[in-house]
Amino acid sequence: MGQVFSFTNIFGKLWGIDKEIRILILGLDGAGKTTILYRLQMGEVVTTKPTIGFNVETLKYKNLTLNIWDLGGQTSIRPYWRCYYSNTAAVIFVVDSTDKDRIDIASKELHTMLKEEELLDSALLVFANKQDQPGAMTAAAVSQALNLTDLKDRSWSIVASSAIKGEGLTEGLDWLMDVIKDEQL
Amino acid sequence: MSLEKRIRNFLKGPKKGETFELKSGLVSQYKGERKDAIQRVIQAMTVGKDVSALFPDVLKNIATYDLEQKKLVYLYLMNYAKTHPELCILAVNTFVQDTEDPNPLIRALAIRTMGCIRVSKMVDYMEIPLLRTLKDDNPYVRKTAAICVAKLFDLNPEMCVEFGFLDLLKALLKDPNPMVIANSLNALYEIKDMNKDPNLDVLPITQDLIKNLLTCLNECTEWGRISILTTLTDYHTSNVEEVNHIIERVIPQLQHVNPSVVLSSIKTIIHHLDVIPSQAQRSTILKKLSSPLVSLVSSSIPEAQYVGLKNIRIILEKYPQILSKELRVFFIRYSDPLYLKLEKLEIMIRLCNEHNSSLLLSELKEYAMEFEPALVLKSIRSIGSVGINLISCVVKSINLLGDLIDQRGGDLIINEAVIVLTNILRRYPGKNDLITLVIPIISNHIQELEKSEALSGYIWLLGEYPKYFSGLKEKLSSLLEGFLEYESSLQLNILTTIVKVNLKVPGQAYSGLLQKVLELTTKECENADVRDKAYLYWRLLSSSSDDSQQKVILSKLPPIKSTVSSFNPNVLEILIQELSTMSSVFHKPAFTFIESPKATEKKRAGSSARNIEDLKNLAKQEIINNVKNENLLDFDDDDDDNDQNGESQGGSSNLLDELNDLFNTPTVPGGQSSQGSGSSSANDILSLFNAPNPTSVNGVSQGVGSMNLNSQPKNNTNSDILDLF
Repeated sequence: MGQVFSFTNIFGKLWGIDKEIRILILGLDGAGKTTILYRLQMGEVVTTKPTIGFNVETLKYKNLTLNIWDLGGQTSIRPYWRCYYSNTAAVIFVVDSTDKDRIDIASKELHTMLKEEELLDSALLVFANKQDQPGAMTAAAVSQALNLTDLKDRSWSIVASSAIKGEGLTEGLDWLMDVIKDEQL
Repeated sequence: MSLEKRIRNFLKGPKKGETFELKSGLVSQYKGERKDAIQRVIQAMTVGKDVSALFPDVLKNIATYDLEQKKLVYLYLMNYAKTHPELCILAVNTFVQDTEDPNPLIRALAIRTMGCIRVSKMVDYMEIPLLRTLKDDNPYVRKTAAICVAKLFDLNPEMCVEFGFLDLLKALLKDPNPMVIANSLNALYEIKDMNKDPNLDVLPITQDLIKNLLTCLNECTEWGRISILTTLTDYHTSNVEEVNHIIERVIPQLQHVNPSVVLSSIKTIIHHLDVIPSQAQRSTILKKLSSPLVSLVSSSIPEAQYVGLKNIRIILEKYPQILSKELRVFFIRYSDPLYLKLEKLEIMIRLCNEHNSSLLLSELKEYAMEFEPALVLKSIRSIGSVGINLISCVVKSINLLGDLIDQRGGDLIINEAVIVLTNILRRYPGKNDLITLVIPIISNHIQELEKSEALSGYIWLLGEYPKYFSGLKEKLSSLLEGFLEYESSLQLNILTTIVKVNLKVPGQAYSGLLQKVLELTTKECENADVRDKAYLYWRLLSSSSDDSQQKVILSKLPPIKSTVSSFNPNVLEILIQELSTMSSVFHKPAFTFIESPKATEKKRAGSSARNIEDLKNLAKQEIINNVKNENLLDFDDDDDDNDQNGESQGGSSNLLDELNDLFNTPTVPGGQSSQGSGSSSANDILSLFNAPNPTSVNGVSQGVGSMNLNSQPKNNTNSDILDLF
């Protein structure tokens, strides 16, 4: 128990070596959150099942240790997202660009979430996912549907992506890293 | 921005309190801090602090590659899952992933924890991981998953059957690994107990299964062996070859260190023994059981010895010869706790035979000189039992009792010895040499008799052998002096004795006493039974012929056979099957104290309005059980005895008294209670029915018939009698 003040701990804290940056991946069910997580971590497409609960992976990106949480998006699990908000540096919100019917729900969920006090300082990255599918909305259309322009006092960005093809992911993450570095240092 | 944030954080000020500290540790951005916080949470949990509020934060740490941390979080989860049932589903994803982990330890840990989270929402997600782990390559995972099926069955039996988990579990009985087999067997037994569906055959015991179990018997842990041995006991076959094979395989288990394994093996062997046709072979096998039985008593833990002794008593009942040479093993050690000493005495009496009786008697004498009253009393009783069981030892035991009274004395010993001596005379009625030996011992100590059992024994002797007592008249009149203060059973005894003496001794020497006792009982005595009995005697004496008086009043009771308790044969059969279980310690069949799940279910279904009714019933049941408990040893009444006999066995002295009154048992000293643990009490009661003595039915009809004819106006009580009828 006494190892709180152990040498490595203090040392690590001082230099920010072991510090992990928490990032949440949220979105409605079937948007592609788990696929994005493992695409980022392992660089490959895994077959996924609906996430009951969460996945968490750690990955090193540009000298930062990222702790990426992928929370299940099913209606039954959404109320528990709030358990994970504290100490979160950024939120990645994933939208299924082909699912026009539920984009309103996605927008509602997004705005309720952003009103939470614990997330006031978090950056927001929106992935307009599934661009590889026919009939997908463009990033601009998604942005409009989500009323992103209403957001004040927050760094946000929207990127068109395809987790299957791996397009747009690094682009979005790069932007996120820049914002976070500003915050942290 | 960052500056602004820092200022805001500063202004918020630090939150305080242990919970907050732990909470911030759990969500820390540093791995080490998180793990440390988890450790502190578990520490708080184990000392009994409620840390359930941290549930969501601890749960976040479940996904980790650190095995130690994972175990801790799982531990926390098992403990507090019930407080946050809805949050448990957040862990599902990790559980499912962990059951695919390359490390079998983690796979087993995940499925075990998942099973331990008894939350109904969890059940829906168990299907896939459970299926996977039941078919796992690693036996450790399979054996853990097997137990999990039983847990699932408890939560949701329909799902368990529907998804084929039950069949998978049955298939695991053919697993190559003995541990898996044993655990599956255990799980199936659990399910069998929980099962409420009569159409569901949970555990079909087939020849193949038995064969398989026998092969892996030797490789199992002790728990596994016990469940396998239990299964072997549940298996019935009449195939001699198969039985031989089973016994052959089980015999090596008799050497096992664990007494429970030994007992289970003995049980299995006894269960199958009867199938073997050859008597010689059976007794060879029985001989092999004696040293394991002895080993049960040589354990260093007194409680274990006690359980062993209780079981031995049951086995002895069925096979009395099995330990005949091992008497010495059961000798009492100075350091034994009292309950052990008493139980050892029970065994010793049962092992007594012609060869070891003198050894046993001298040992019993030692015990009678001990200081614990319960032990002394039981030793004295045991000395009596030896005399009663073996005719060759009667004189010796009588002398021994006489010595004890002389050497040690004291009310306790004298009272007990008188009871025992009376019993000996009841065993060998009319033996002149014994009577002349016993009566002087008793008549020397009449003043010290206090226990009503002892007193009634003495009073009975007065009536039975009046000519052996000197100063009979004084003795009887002194009894009459305090007559109204005695309890009713003694009053009955005195009444009967005086009536008997009056008939036995020729002349009118005792008619004054008779007159006095009849008046006392009919006019002043408050107890209706005593009064009734007095009226009956009166009528009999006044209106019947001498011949019928003699016949009714002086008829002899059949001698008692033994004062060692024994089981009813049906109960014995059940107890033999339930050896090495709780029922073998209680000496009661399991169904008498364990409710079947169906009955429990009914109770649960009952509305709250019925609760009071249930409580009442419970209370009643409790009282009945208590009465039964008191007389645990007397579980020996024959089935053909009627209910009233059963009640009398119930041991409550009130019942006994009532029964005495009911059946008008003038000639039984101290009633049944004189042999609190006497097996013969059932016989006694039976004999009461058969005895030609009873004044009850015959007496009444005779009395009434002759009264009208003779109508002797002895005094005006006659009209009273008429009123009575």
